[in-house]
Amino acid sequence: MPETSDVSDKLKEWIEYFKEARDIRRKYANWDFIRSQPPKLRIALEYYIETGDLFNAAKLAGMSMEEFNELRIKAGIPSIG
Amino acid sequence: MVNAIADTSFLIDWIRYSKSKLIFKLFNVIYIPENVLNEIKSERALIWVSEGLEEGGLAIFPELPEISREALDLVVRSRRVPVRPVDYPEAFCLVVGRRLNFTVLTENGGAIALKNYDPEYFGVEVLRGIDIIYRLWRLNHLNSFKDELELYQRETKHIYSRKDLVKYSDYLK
Repeated sequence: MPETSDVSDKLKEWIEYFKEARDIRRKYANWDFIRSQPPKLRIALEYYIETGDLFNAAKLAGMSMEEFNELRIKAGIPSIG
Repeated sequence: MVNAIADTSFLIDWIRYSKSKLIFKLFNVIYIPENVLNEIKSERALIWVSEGLEEGGLAIFPELPEISREALDLVVRSRRVPVRPVDYPEAFCLVVGRRLNFTVLTENGGAIALKNYDPEYFGVEVLRGIDIIYRLWRLNHLNSFKDELELYQRETKHIYSRKDLVKYSDYLK
């Protein structure tokens, strides 16, 4: 079993990993498309870009996860992390 | 062959991949939790699932109260850690994976991270699309790991980061 310091190092690595993933989502997102969406969808897409959390983003948008995934693709946001 | 359980994040990406049916060569049965079925709406995905059920490669995993309770506890626990938490669907799969020794199929970063920092889940095998493609290639079901990974990323609009790719860097040259 890993030592506590190993776990702490792993957590730091994961924090960096999720930051990098967020930056990639921000970079590739089609912001014009996102800004043109009604508030419910725009806010859900922005939440997804910041977190990569498909489950709650879909709930915010009032869609199934698969439907939201299609919207994510239309918005040019890569699934990463 | 072992059994697996797949969450929505894995299935909705994997089903878009043109060689998605190859996954049945790796597992005895792939279970889909009932809550995951509710998230699948497209004709393509529903056909994929119905054919899998018909051919015996897929089965539905019921909502068992004991597992649901433990999954909710895991959701709460993961929120005390300063990385992306898990939500109920992937937590449910992780609990099933730990209790029944099933492989967990997910693209959810929170679930993949949790397996690395939560001692209770160190022993659970968690695989992503990239891992499945690698295994299919190693078993000669695919000709090229690099080409297939590029195809998968193109078809699913799912990309893997440098950290994800590093463990396979020797095979991606």
